[in-house]
Amino acid sequence: MKKLLVVVKKEFRQIRRTKEYFGVVFVAPFVMLLVLGSAITTEVKHLPFGVVDLDHSPQSRELVQDFETSTAFRAAGSWKSIAEAVQQLDESRVRMVLVVPEHFRRDLAEGKSPSLQLLIDGVDGNSAGVAMSYATQILRTAQARWAKPLGRAAVSMLHPEGRASPHIVPHMWFNPNLESSWNFVPGLLGIMLIIVTTLLTALNLVRERELGTLDQIMVTPLGKITLLLGKIIPFAILGMLQLSVGVLACGLFFGIWMKGSFLLLLTLALVFCFSTLALGIFVSTLAKTQQQAMFFAWFIMIFALLMAGLLVPIENMPAAIQLITYLNPLRYFVTVLREIFLKGTGLPHLWVEALAMTGIGLAAMGAAILRFQKRLE
Amino acid sequence: MKSITLSIMRKEFFHILRDPQSLLLVVMMPLVMLLLFGYAINLELKSIDAAVIDESHSPASREFVERLTASDFFRLSAQNLALDGIETAFQSRQVKCVFVIPQDYARRLVSSTGAGIELFVDASDPNVAAFISGYASQIASADHGTQKAASSPSLFLVDPRILYNPDMKSADFFVPGLIAVILIMISTLLTSIAIVREKETGTIEQLLVSPVKPYQIILGKVMPYTAIGFLDGLLILVIGALLFSVPIQGSFALVLLMMLIYTVTGISLGILVSTLAKTQAVAMLIAVILTVLPTTLLSGFIFPITSIPVALQWVTNIVPATHFLQIIRGIILKGNGIMELLPQTGILLGMDLLLILLSVRSFRARLD
Repeated sequence: MKKLLVVVKKEFRQIRRTKEYFGVVFVAPFVMLLVLGSAITTEVKHLPFGVVDLDHSPQSRELVQDFETSTAFRAAGSWKSIAEAVQQLDESRVRMVLVVPEHFRRDLAEGKSPSLQLLIDGVDGNSAGVAMSYATQILRTAQARWAKPLGRAAVSMLHPEGRASPHIVPHMWFNPNLESSWNFVPGLLGIMLIIVTTLLTALNLVRERELGTLDQIMVTPLGKITLLLGKIIPFAILGMLQLSVGVLACGLFFGIWMKGSFLLLLTLALVFCFSTLALGIFVSTLAKTQQQAMFFAWFIMIFALLMAGLLVPIENMPAAIQLITYLNPLRYFVTVLREIFLKGTGLPHLWVEALAMTGIGLAAMGAAILRFQKRLE
Repeated sequence: MKSITLSIMRKEFFHILRDPQSLLLVVMMPLVMLLLFGYAINLELKSIDAAVIDESHSPASREFVERLTASDFFRLSAQNLALDGIETAFQSRQVKCVFVIPQDYARRLVSSTGAGIELFVDASDPNVAAFISGYASQIASADHGTQKAASSPSLFLVDPRILYNPDMKSADFFVPGLIAVILIMISTLLTSIAIVREKETGTIEQLLVSPVKPYQIILGKVMPYTAIGFLDGLLILVIGALLFSVPIQGSFALVLLMMLIYTVTGISLGILVSTLAKTQAVAMLIAVILTVLPTTLLSGFIFPITSIPVALQWVTNIVPATHFLQIIRGIILKGNGIMELLPQTGILLGMDLLLILLSVRSFRARLD
């Protein structure tokens, strides 16, 4: 125990002496949090939108007005012909074009059901889909508004058969305005944590090996476990500090205050750190140089990030890839963060995640200890 | 003179070949990312766990439930849920949404007011939540109710046409995008590390006192990595196009030319980084911070630029990938020619020039 304390003290002294760590642990992550928190958004806003109005009627102008006042679209111009508009789409100056056909008003009045055309740039399939649904929503509202004075039922546009259908009244819980940042920002805390724990531990150990000081430590009466624990504990403490500051920053910068228990979050974060620190040690046994360690650690981090269900919902992934995500500790921790932050979920609904992270941690630590021994012999 | 550059190039190739692990990572990383992005990122949700609380118990409500089950979007997974159990169901992640069909559903469906179905959605993932509510509305409006209201033709119809990527496939979006990320990441990273390594070991001083000119050193060191970066990009383009059947509408030669211009951007950025960093670890950190984060997040690679705050939109203009993405997506997906891409190409070339001037200047300054 006393030996352990000595190692921990030595590590802390070393961490304090490395000024870059301060930047890596506290400054960079918060710049990242600020920038990413505002940059990562899957919402569609201010999409450049154009009009080809071949009708020039009050109705067509009304439609254009509807689009221009919505926050999803930004007026980017109007053109006289479809060909001109397509040219603009080709050059990516505009992403969606509404074409109001000739005699739109007349056909409308005569009940001929004229057809509006929407030209959508589908390069970004996801945004295109969202933009299309916004546009249909706007047109549906317009339809309902015009139908009333005409004494007709507002019927679904895409299904001209016109049957009675219920409407859906959505209630969005935990994130009523569907803010992307409420989802991403807590998740980013997990990514920050994995950077500090996996990357720094791996680099730290590989540097000691490169310098030869690891061999010197190994010939002292220190046990292997004590040595590894001594390496882990300072970084775990550093991680917890970072997380606490991060939780505060989420509230201050983005107004996302945690709903659940902070104590529970810290406990589960410790479990998560155990698994990522073990991964870091494992990486250090694979790498010969700091450069290689960085490559490996970085590869693992990108992998963990993509497979965490933060950027892409896990349900969207093909079955084989979904299976792989079960090996990713960040997957569980992202769930934990989201649950505690937004829903205030308690341990009864999170113990599966806790167990999974412990299991991964034990497996990685076991593998690391085995390899650590081999490499030194 | 040429042979000097050539022999430095050869030396650099030996360095690369002697570290097969790093080389493997450099080749494997783009491929893994390609597979992940190609397969994992498609925003077509399926089998969302849902529950229904049917307070109406009418043929009409049962019909709606049947319609829900028939779609492969929803999977009814919780039985006998009560209204006050919704929060627990969300917290235990048993279901993602709950439909509540009110008591007077059947009666109101045929009345003029119309019937509403309450949909409670776990919006902790807002992206999924938006899709759920959109899809639910679609199913509801397609609901062929047994009781038909006075059928009247629609006031007007909407005919949406998706251009360039009619199936809205995510691979079409990500394969060209990934080239933008990988090219600059690899070329900046490798260049800066290669130069800083010589600095760390002190061998650069030896090179400099030899009759080799600085530009020959840089050129010789940089060429092999240009080749690797370029090949990485090509690999993604070819494998991505074949595996995910991404059609290349425009000219292949133009794609290659633009890739070359863009690789030069990455390399001059790498030289610049190398003048800032003293150790390989620091060089790597700077290179990653300068390339990976802005390129993936502030260039329109995944997230639409128009949606981010205006201040950050300004920043996107100085990220080279923003312009390259427009170029490469333009050529590959829209079949753009050089004429349509003049502004973006001009900006990219300007950036190249600026970066080369800057890096040569600071490289010299450091030598003095």
